[in-house]
Amino acid sequence: MKSFLRFIILVVALFLSLAPLLVIAQTKSWVPPKTPWGDPDIQGLWPGQDMVGTPLERDGSLGTRAFLTDEEFAKKVAFAEEQKEIDTAETPSPNPRIARGGRFVSCEEDPNLCRNGVRIGPPNYWDERGKPTKQASLIMDPPDGRLPALTPEAQKLQADRAAARRARACASTPGGCHDSWEDESLWDRCITRGLVGSVLPSGYNTGNQIVQSPGYVVFRNEMIHEARVIPVNGRPHAPATIRTWMGDSRGHWEGNTLVVETTNFLAGIPVGNVPTSDALRVIERFTPTDANTLGYSLTVEDPKTWTKPWTVSFPLKRSKDYGVYEYACHEGNYYMSNALSGARAEEKKN
Amino acid sequence: MRYVGYLFVIFITVISAFAQTPAYRAPRLNGHPDLNGVWQAMNTANWDLLDHPAQPGPLWQLGAIGAVPAGQSVVEGGEIPYKPDALKKKQENFAKRMTEDPEAKCYMPGVPRATYMPYPFQIVQSQRDVLFVYEYATANRLVNMGPPQKAGSDTWMGTSNGRWEGETLVVDVTGLNGLAWFDRAGDWASDRLHVVERYTRTGPDHLQYEATIEDPNVFTRPWKINMTLYRHVEKNAQLLEFKCVPFAEELLYGQFKKKD
Repeated sequence: MKSFLRFIILVVALFLSLAPLLVIAQTKSWVPPKTPWGDPDIQGLWPGQDMVGTPLERDGSLGTRAFLTDEEFAKKVAFAEEQKEIDTAETPSPNPRIARGGRFVSCEEDPNLCRNGVRIGPPNYWDERGKPTKQASLIMDPPDGRLPALTPEAQKLQADRAAARRARACASTPGGCHDSWEDESLWDRCITRGLVGSVLPSGYNTGNQIVQSPGYVVFRNEMIHEARVIPVNGRPHAPATIRTWMGDSRGHWEGNTLVVETTNFLAGIPVGNVPTSDALRVIERFTPTDANTLGYSLTVEDPKTWTKPWTVSFPLKRSKDYGVYEYACHEGNYYMSNALSGARAEEKKN
Repeated sequence: MRYVGYLFVIFITVISAFAQTPAYRAPRLNGHPDLNGVWQAMNTANWDLLDHPAQPGPLWQLGAIGAVPAGQSVVEGGEIPYKPDALKKKQENFAKRMTEDPEAKCYMPGVPRATYMPYPFQIVQSQRDVLFVYEYATANRLVNMGPPQKAGSDTWMGTSNGRWEGETLVVDVTGLNGLAWFDRAGDWASDRLHVVERYTRTGPDHLQYEATIEDPNVFTRPWKINMTLYRHVEKNAQLLEFKCVPFAEELLYGQFKKKD
């Protein structure tokens, strides 16, 4: 019995003497667990909602400073607190404050957001607000955190499209153009947000999930129920003539980083209000940095649209209990018939 | 008397040998049968679960392109045990299939129809999870392999709880919204539909699929479908994108389009 106790003490002592070494090893570079077939295991729920409050492009006044100062961050936190109060208010105030771009506006300031002094649109609590972060923009390259200039070709395309839009009779009506479904966005039509859009944090249903099998990684988005099956077994891309909304993805492991290259896009999938071209190529990198953090970056190369590549990068945080719901968008899309039939009814009135 | 004893032993041995012959042992992933792969049904169940002769399609303009290939029943016993009113609804569905079949509208296919749509699907099985990704309409569903969870709300693809029974993946599907059809022949169920699926590897490239279907609103008893799924063995086999919403918009919203 005595010798057994001595053995236990020895084991504990040995462990304690090694523990600091283990901690150092972990902080230096965290080694993710492996799947039974030997790939780094990055499976799990990685919802994007924490970053919802971080804008795509950086405020111009910050220049090349990618992170807020403590003082700026404190302001952002205070704003979020005030927003939370507004969101949880039982009854909407007759002249509510509405969060827009890091400040609050009232119905008087922006009547477009209101009808008869009452805010239109979903209630405040409908949207995810995210967690205030020090990161000043999702775009981290170029260093000013802003989209690069459009190419002359893309500028002309944008100008031609805008002119064509203005020339239509419906452009001057209050509701805008709803002649057919093609006047609605791909998102409103429940077709896609595109690959870039699918990973940018959105105000609701912003769940992401990774499932791996031998030779494959699947990146699953809750919104529009996308499930991107990414071969990581070295096979070549699908033929370039097979164009798609979400692209054709191929991945490979560089150490513990999953690198995914996606091509074969259809032309016209928007990022913001800029339609991308058929030359779009997207490179994503997934790097686990600790048990609950997956570093994520996405580089957009579209030489027909932007004068240089640009990269968004942000951490995805693991969730144990995020509920991924079925996002049956198209099946319940009343917007489309309402928008189109509403526009026809307006025409009859005039 | 001793001979009877010997005969009995021989009899038992022969019987048990016969009973065991069909067993195929699938390669293992973390101790369970490995169901990974791109699979597809090779039958006409999506046209009609029951025996049916070749027949014209609903649109003569499509000629033989739109015609229905003949096919044999995948329903055990060859009959779906509808209640009388429910059978009438099936016939009404069939009459309105050009506009009312959820497939025409590019709606999610539901379970079990997702399995035998004329599009491939991929089983993505990890050491824990099983994810089904269907090419048609990018429908997908995660099978919960942990402690069973109750359906939070009714959905098109349902709530799937899975478990391993030896060589078989058993998936219990509840929380189906009853809006999906079983086929283009108008076969249907209500939101009380409960489907128990069984996936069993029967060879390197074959997966046996069985589904027990019950719905006390619509059927007089539970019934079963049974079919073989085939592995896509082509080197370049992969799911391609079939986002069909743009193909259904004229059908769904054409009446609201601005007429010149």
